[in-house]
Amino acid sequence: MAQWDTSRYTSLFISEATEHLEALSKELVRLEQGEVTAEAIDSLFRHAHSVKGMAGSMGFEATTALGHKLEDLLDRVRTTPTRFDRGVADLVLQACDALTAHVKAVAAGQPFPDAAPLMAQLVAATQSMRPGTTPLPFKENAAPPLVETTPAPESNLPPRWLISLKVSASSAQPGVRGFLAYKRLGSLGNLFRCAPSLDEVKAGKLQGGLFAVELETTETEANIQKTVSQVADVTLVSIEKVVAPPPVPAAEEARPESSPGDRVVGQEPQRTVRVKTELLDEFLDLAGELLLATAGVREAGRTLHEDARSQLNVSVDRLHGLVRGLHDKVMEARMTPVSVITDRLPRAARDIARRRGREIELIVAGSEVELDRAIVDELNDPVLHLLRNAIDHGVEPPEERRMRGKPPRGTVKVSVRRASDRVLLEVEDDGRGMDTERLKTIAVERGLITAEQAKDLPERDALLLSAAPGLSTATTVTDISGRGVGMDAVKRAVEQVGGTLEIISKRGVGTTFRLSLPLTVAMVNLLLVSVGDDVYGLPIGKVAGVVETTRATLAHSQDLPVLQFGQAVVPARELSALLGVPARLHDVNAACPFVVVETDEGRVALAVDALLGQEEVVLKALRRPLDKVRGLSGVTVLGNGRPVFILDVARIDAPAPHARAAGGDA
Amino acid sequence: MSKRVLVVDDSVFMRDIIKDIFAAGGFSVVGEAGNGVEAVEKYKELKPDLVTMDLVMPYRNGIDATREILRGDGKALVVMCSALGQETMVMEAIEAGAVDFIVKPPRAEDVLAVVKKVLGEG
Amino acid sequence: MRHVIFLVGKDRYALPLDAVREVVVAPDRYTRVPHAGTSVKGVMTLRGRVVPVVDLARLLVAAPSEGQPAGGKVVLLELTRRDLGLLVTEVEGIEPIEQVDRPPHTTSRLVRGLTRVKEQAATVLDLQGLDSAVASAFATE
Repeated sequence: MAQWDTSRYTSLFISEATEHLEALSKELVRLEQGEVTAEAIDSLFRHAHSVKGMAGSMGFEATTALGHKLEDLLDRVRTTPTRFDRGVADLVLQACDALTAHVKAVAAGQPFPDAAPLMAQLVAATQSMRPGTTPLPFKENAAPPLVETTPAPESNLPPRWLISLKVSASSAQPGVRGFLAYKRLGSLGNLFRCAPSLDEVKAGKLQGGLFAVELETTETEANIQKTVSQVADVTLVSIEKVVAPPPVPAAEEARPESSPGDRVVGQEPQRTVRVKTELLDEFLDLAGELLLATAGVREAGRTLHEDARSQLNVSVDRLHGLVRGLHDKVMEARMTPVSVITDRLPRAARDIARRRGREIELIVAGSEVELDRAIVDELNDPVLHLLRNAIDHGVEPPEERRMRGKPPRGTVKVSVRRASDRVLLEVEDDGRGMDTERLKTIAVERGLITAEQAKDLPERDALLLSAAPGLSTATTVTDISGRGVGMDAVKRAVEQVGGTLEIISKRGVGTTFRLSLPLTVAMVNLLLVSVGDDVYGLPIGKVAGVVETTRATLAHSQDLPVLQFGQAVVPARELSALLGVPARLHDVNAACPFVVVETDEGRVALAVDALLGQEEVVLKALRRPLDKVRGLSGVTVLGNGRPVFILDVARIDAPAPHARAAGGDA
Repeated sequence: MSKRVLVVDDSVFMRDIIKDIFAAGGFSVVGEAGNGVEAVEKYKELKPDLVTMDLVMPYRNGIDATREILRGDGKALVVMCSALGQETMVMEAIEAGAVDFIVKPPRAEDVLAVVKKVLGEG
Repeated sequence: MRHVIFLVGKDRYALPLDAVREVVVAPDRYTRVPHAGTSVKGVMTLRGRVVPVVDLARLLVAAPSEGQPAGGKVVLLELTRRDLGLLVTEVEGIEPIEQVDRPPHTTSRLVRGLTRVKEQAATVLDLQGLDSAVASAFATE
């Protein structure tokens, strides 16, 4: 085994091996559903081979041995694809899981789990498969498939330069200027990674006129400089050679020990670096705090003399623009494709369906759509849960489906798409649908709603009862409603990231769960209101309007004050009472602003002491113990350094023990 | 020897302004054209060091004319003259091979700065 | 083991030094936390971070202390990825504590035991008990 220090490659091993194993399991599931082709099995083989090779390079003997056995089996399958059946597929998946467990053990610094029985099974399966007699077309290529395509040696690539440019602020058409510079550089070689994107450069949307691009060229540095100098209004801020990414140990056993790092696995068309996700979180925190700090400087400047203040404000405006740009870039870097979630689904669907005796076709669409990493992280479990419910309780067993005249194989479709500034994620099944009457009955039985309420409950609200805490945990509902337990957790998780859950269902036809999600969680536009001595933020998106009126003129319905808003009448509440905070003494005959907000229960007018204005702020998530506080969805820090809570408007009118109606006390 | 410039614009007024700027800057304007077709002909005939090209002109617009000129002479230096609001067209012209642009109404120092840079004198 | 010694009212308390990140002067005002229990003072900002602060006097005696004098110190606990501050009357210093005696009859899960610091009695607080008491002070039904 190699004598060099492998520890610095550990994290790379973990991430790459995991990718291979995920791809292996994913491709295997796909293969089971489609045609078994030589190419497909070849690809499985290559993944196993890669993992084995990498483990070998790292000196992980147990992993190497296991990988080797899997490789042997897949090699045998290659020669007799007709022998590839469910049993073999199961075994391959088990081996894949075992290898994944090994990789996790590496990550956790724990000993490798024992895989001896599994290895024996792999050997037995391999031996039981006799080599085929007819050579397969892909076998005619005598050379065994290699893990990596031999990459061009580093020295053959032209050098790459990171070039930062500044478009002069006085330029008449900065976008065109930037584009011209870009084009000129492009004439020297190949351009990569324009930041901000070329579209933003063309639109002239550059913070401080700055942008950067990487150029791969054989031209000299002097020539690059000369080219830039020939573009008016554009100056070269910096130019530096991009350091080649560190060489990665190649996945081959027979590698000379003397040169451990002189080969590169594969070749990335676009260079990327792996960044720890915690680091991205910290970047976002810091960028957010920079924004706040900038607001703080502006605030401090208010005390200055007018001349000095306007000078300061010019700089603060510029600083704010730059920081905002930085913040946007960090947000962009955090954007993660939904495939992180959806890639796991085929395997999960297969396992659930087999366990439950269902036949399922899973269709996944739109997994390339991107969302903030924080949202993707939060959605992993809920989406899996929706899938499990769809298969477990939505789709009927094959015989039942036949009886109902449906194809025996049920379809579950997970689709993701952008809709303006939201992302819609849908989990749709063609199963039995939900029984809203039964849901209502049980909800009444459990005292969640009254019989009266049940009668008038609109369809969509009735369906959402399945996600009510008291109901979704009731096991009796599981099969009646066609929904399983834990729907309340799904709803909560979706709302936690600023999304909404909608259920569409038709009995006998199927059910769709629609998650409407924001792209990012970090910035929010607030209406700041004061109540007593406190200031609170209401997300503008949830504010329907503001009505100024006196408490004395409020109408009453069933003894509770209501406010005329547009064509409708909405309940009026004291925000102080809803939050359980001291109110200022108020005169019922004095005008008071009522902020009409959209809650889960419909519109509600909130009486506040004053409107303090609108502000775009950086949302901070609530951490323990603040996340336990009812009625809050986040917190932010204003320019004056004061923390302000952002209210969970959707649930602000949820029944609270001490909620009082507006106009009750004066 | 002073550099030879061809000025293309459908407005005589604009051509005069540009010509004056070049004259003051020590360039010699060797020809003028009022439309794209004429521009291509004049270019072939005069082989100037540099062309200033209006974007919107009758018969043949500046982008097509630029393309045509570059087809005949890959090293031709064509500088577009554009107004604010024509950014997209200018970028199209740059895609077509124009080396730079000036914004109308032209200011002497801007025009000369751009032209000198393009000619490698800046 | 070294402990941070501080006063709550006139009583002396101790927390392990490695449980304390820093001590800061209490802010003039806090932002109120809706629905929170009376022992929750509110939140303050510290270098851009939002830190919940609990009035230790109220948490310990579970009754309103006689008009907490203005000022005091906030002891910030060392917790992973979150912040928590304890409002105390004054911080006395750092002292080594070797022996902690379990109180004869445990009165509170907040208390780990009793000890003596420079000939004076001090109550050593239990970090986990403290943490769960704080959590329930914030959690509203």
